[in-house]
Amino acid sequence: MTSTALPTVTPTPDAPPVVPPAPRRRRRQLASGLRSDRPGVRLAAWAAVIVCGGFALLPVYWLLATSLTPRDQVFSYPPKIFPTEVTFDAYAGLVSNPQLFTYLQNSIIVSVITAVLSVIVSAYMGYSFSKFRYRGRRQLMYFVLASQMFPQALLLVTLYSVFSAYGLLNTYTALVLSFTTFTLPLCVWMLKGFFDTIPDELIEAARVDGASRLRTIHSIVLPLAAPGLVAAGLFAFVRGWNDFIFALTLAGPDKQTLPPGLVNTYVGEAATAWPELMAASLVVSLPVAIAFMLLQRYLVSGMTAGAVKG
Amino acid sequence: MPRKVHTDVTTTFTQKQTTPNNPNLAPPFRRTAGSRPERLSSGMFALLLVVPGMALMAVVVAYPLISALVTAFFRQSLVLPGREFVGIQNIVDVLEGDFLRLLMQTLVFTLGTTIAPFVIGFALALALNTQIRGSKIMRGLMLIPWLVPGVVVSFLWMWIFNANYGVMNAILEPLGVSPQAWLAQPGTAMFAVIVAKTWQSFPWMMVMLLAGLQTVPRELHEAAEMDGAGTVRRFFSITVPQIGGIIGLVLLLEFIWNFQHFDIIYVLTGGGPAGSTETFATAVYETAFHGFDLGHAGALGLLWMVLLMALVVVYVRFSERGEKR
Repeated sequence: MTSTALPTVTPTPDAPPVVPPAPRRRRRQLASGLRSDRPGVRLAAWAAVIVCGGFALLPVYWLLATSLTPRDQVFSYPPKIFPTEVTFDAYAGLVSNPQLFTYLQNSIIVSVITAVLSVIVSAYMGYSFSKFRYRGRRQLMYFVLASQMFPQALLLVTLYSVFSAYGLLNTYTALVLSFTTFTLPLCVWMLKGFFDTIPDELIEAARVDGASRLRTIHSIVLPLAAPGLVAAGLFAFVRGWNDFIFALTLAGPDKQTLPPGLVNTYVGEAATAWPELMAASLVVSLPVAIAFMLLQRYLVSGMTAGAVKG
Repeated sequence: MPRKVHTDVTTTFTQKQTTPNNPNLAPPFRRTAGSRPERLSSGMFALLLVVPGMALMAVVVAYPLISALVTAFFRQSLVLPGREFVGIQNIVDVLEGDFLRLLMQTLVFTLGTTIAPFVIGFALALALNTQIRGSKIMRGLMLIPWLVPGVVVSFLWMWIFNANYGVMNAILEPLGVSPQAWLAQPGTAMFAVIVAKTWQSFPWMMVMLLAGLQTVPRELHEAAEMDGAGTVRRFFSITVPQIGGIIGLVLLLEFIWNFQHFDIIYVLTGGGPAGSTETFATAVYETAFHGFDLGHAGALGLLWMVLLMALVVVYVRFSERGEKR
């Protein structure tokens, strides 16, 4: 992998290896950079890790701590860094709010359908880009890649009217169509990378054996790219789960997903129910965290294709 | 399992190649010759595969984009029917009105949220690349902020920057900083928004740069060390040039994304106070969906797109270079 090699699927260098794990000495040789045996370098490395680690993790601690703090203790200054009393009232409060269940249900429905639809659409598209050469292919590929660079706030200005004209406002359809479209750049490029690794001879052989073009895709190519399909599906799920602006604009309270739902429920009240909001935040983040743990080895490839926004 | 399929099929394939005159093996593909895609040339088939995705792109991206830009030339409301051609009046209005202020604020936000995560992410990548004890675990933990949905990032920092009970004031007060209403003052609100976005972005920078660092051959460093190059010298003469491509790419992508970032700003400050954290993204949205003024939203969007397109062209060039290799 050269330093500018980008929209190809390359697992992260230290991802779960396909080859048997290399012994430790060899890994140290492969890895490079500043040597760790100099005390000055080691010290600098530790300082960076501690400072940046604090910035990364203290807010996470604060989220967790607040969600466990009794509501009356939250409104005190200075805040108690270590809560003297731990309670799960905030989590119980979430469960007793039926509106949140509606949002949760919407989130699950929309994200799952988005994942399935994205995989189907982008598998065919990625296969076409990977295994065929035709006029306009490059242009189409780069249009797909560039489409994620168009500002969504601007697209919504007329997308709202389009969906309104077809009576699709406040429907799952509007959300699923929008989310799926915005997963395509990532999913198509990622799956194209997977299909690129499948030898053409295999496809020709299937054809010679009498499989139709579609049958070749369904029985030979897709099973071989199964890990890629799963990864693409998870990415699409997360995209739908995390979206805020489309769900906020195109859906009302009964079809809205969790992100805008939580904003509508908690933000803007005179005294925000901070423990409950932090508890809800934690719960909303969990599926994403789990999905990403499953995705670890595809992270870098996905990110270079440019769609998992940082 | 995949390997098995591979050998089976290729064996059959080679058999056929070697016995082309065997009538029993010759034309098995005739069986499916009547099915529909078969009749099409391969170019047509390839295009058919692309149709569903392109249809989505057309409906959700291409058409809305073009018609949003067209509304720039009309007086048009979100809620009232009909529209009236006004030429470049909307664009003139925007340029004479908020444009410069929005451009400056967008640039401040974008530069801040590109440079700060880059510095933090690069420092962490370098530190973790020295393979200090526990670097794998740290790497995993550092990813947490990036796994959190954008609205959650906003909630969390809204709480941290809370004027009355926020932990930020409690931390800074002993250091001599008087308590601030961070999100309610023009100066500090932009700072708070940048901090929140930085928190979300730096893990991505870290992962990308770390992946880049691991491609730098160790021999280069060893050779330079033999020649007497110190740590700093090797950093600038070996590390930076070697991963220059990745550095350029992450900075460019981050800049493009933040140039149109919406979620965190909108939830954290809503563009306020007094419009001081408004960027193109929130201003276009507010103009269209709270001011119902599609014409001016389109005009602002048109100017925004012109700036953005320049960046996108650079990005596609960049990707093409990587693709050709």
